[in-house]
Amino acid sequence: MTNSKIMIVDDDPDLRQALRLRLRANHYDTVNAADGYSAIALAYKEQPDLIILDLGLPAGDGFVVLERLQKDDKLSTIPVIVLTARDPQSSERRALQSGAAAFFQKPADNAELLDMIRASLSHAATKPVLPS
Amino acid sequence: MNDHSTHVLLIEDNPGDADLVRLRLVDGKTKVEVSCVNRLSDGLASLKERPPGVILLDLNLPDSQGAETFRKVLEKAPNVPIVILSGQDDEELAIKALHQGVQDYLVKGAISSNGLDRAMRYAVERQALLRSLEMSRKQQLEFKNQFLSHVSHELRTPLTSIHQFVTILLDGLAGEISPEQRDHLKTIFKSVNQLGAMVRDLLEASRAESGKIRIEPRCVPIGDLIRQAVAMMQPVAHEKEVGLEVGVDTRIPFVHGDPGRILEVLINLIENGIKFTPQGGAVTVQACLVQTDPDFVYLSVADTGCGISPEARALVFERLYQDPNSVDNSRKGLGLGLFIAKELVNLHGGRIWVASELGHGSTFSFTLPLYSLAKLLFPVITCQGNLRDNVVLVKAVLRPVTMTARANWKETCQRCLEILQRCVFLDKDLVLPPMTVAMAEETFLVVASTDLERANIMMARIREQLGKVAELNGTGKLELTAEAVSLPDPGSGRSLEEQVQEVAAAVNEMVQTVLGGKQGSENK
Repeated sequence: MTNSKIMIVDDDPDLRQALRLRLRANHYDTVNAADGYSAIALAYKEQPDLIILDLGLPAGDGFVVLERLQKDDKLSTIPVIVLTARDPQSSERRALQSGAAAFFQKPADNAELLDMIRASLSHAATKPVLPS
Repeated sequence: MNDHSTHVLLIEDNPGDADLVRLRLVDGKTKVEVSCVNRLSDGLASLKERPPGVILLDLNLPDSQGAETFRKVLEKAPNVPIVILSGQDDEELAIKALHQGVQDYLVKGAISSNGLDRAMRYAVERQALLRSLEMSRKQQLEFKNQFLSHVSHELRTPLTSIHQFVTILLDGLAGEISPEQRDHLKTIFKSVNQLGAMVRDLLEASRAESGKIRIEPRCVPIGDLIRQAVAMMQPVAHEKEVGLEVGVDTRIPFVHGDPGRILEVLINLIENGIKFTPQGGAVTVQACLVQTDPDFVYLSVADTGCGISPEARALVFERLYQDPNSVDNSRKGLGLGLFIAKELVNLHGGRIWVASELGHGSTFSFTLPLYSLAKLLFPVITCQGNLRDNVVLVKAVLRPVTMTARANWKETCQRCLEILQRCVFLDKDLVLPPMTVAMAEETFLVVASTDLERANIMMARIREQLGKVAELNGTGKLELTAEAVSLPDPGSGRSLEEQVQEVAAAVNEMVQTVLGGKQGSENK
């Protein structure tokens, strides 16, 4: 069985590296994007199984990315976990309404984040394929 | 007041007094335009059409007397300066009005043109000054909130970096570490978590101060919540070798509150208790009912720590307060925890206090309102002193597409609740607070003052609106049923309160059946 591919979108290189280490240790493959624009381009190219998305990003913030993903039939089925330093009171509801599967504030508990990744991946796998 | 004429609204029912004031106004230096009405209702109605620059107000009018008069005007026109025209016998009342926002008063019979002119001018100037003060206060508060929100966001980024890499080292993802290195890393990890909590508290306290914390009340099984808080804090207590015990009266009914917020208060108090209790001591969490205050549940967190001096007791709930004589020499935190706890308890309509004796521990207590179906039902199932003719219980059971859609199920439920609120008439239907704490299936209940036929129309509306929620599509489930509630005989001679109690009991019994008798009895 091949590893699931997770796309990490964050403008902080340290955090991308840390997440990559953490995810690889849990047998996930990773790809990275540092801004909103390249996140969308990379999502088309790589078709990741799951996306971990920061909200404060250059070149199109996280909400723009969420909206773009939702508009594309192929990409809208990819579960997105928002991981941001922003305050949940101001951003959580909007993120979930824009199509995110879950919201975590940084710093997030690793075990909880990994649990959510597992749950979202298995949920996505059982999702019925929409008739074209 | 310069070239423009000032619009003066004169509310005075005595034609003689009105004419006199009008005469003085015309004689004065200020150019004025006077509209005169003799009833308060006419005065209030004219406010919208043509906002006056100043209001001259007699307190005893045909449709309103005394303090009531200026209160109503203050409420409708908070930004218009008011000068009261008082009789000699009610000067005291006029003075009282000054404390409540009225700008000035003049005693009728002693009004000169100069005096009236000056009173009006000063009233206008003072009012403008007050408004600009109030505005700058609001701006400052807003600025502070934005500043703190920005700062806490920026602090979280490096904090996250430290958190991530420390856990990577601790979990051995970057190679083996020695036991000593592990100890040091654990210290860093603990400090990072403390920092994170401080950043959170900072933002929360600033929000509490500007009234921006919202609570979402539900029907909460408080015993479960206490046990959850204790389970979460048990490791901390264990590490410090402090006992952590629970004593909850199992007969305690539900509480009407926000479970997340109540948990926050409990954890804060328990954490404090553990922090100030020496090794070998104990922290005890209790909940009980008090006969003299039957609408509230009393919760307490008692420790066997150093206690709090009487001077400090008066201040512990203040922002940024830290006991300078605290014998605890570990890190103290920001001193915001109890301030936030107080604000959260107050938001629930409860109160919080502390009893303590130096050297003999402290007990923090707070109250939360009990969930009372009768109290919630009263305004919707009564109309003009009588019970309404028909009452129906509508049940909506929601289940998401798959169990793993749990991720945003809580959010979905909240949205469904909001949709449901829009499908009912707020004055005669009541959407009951959700009964469960975000389970995989949610049952919403609506008590509707209507007959079964109209309930069907309501259900069609609900079905259409809730059907739009994506998570309920496809394999998701949405079940709607309605059942009439039997009402007490109106001729029984019992008071309306008793009748409502009876309906509440009937509804409660039906709710129990709906929920499969899982919930405890609600006997209020």
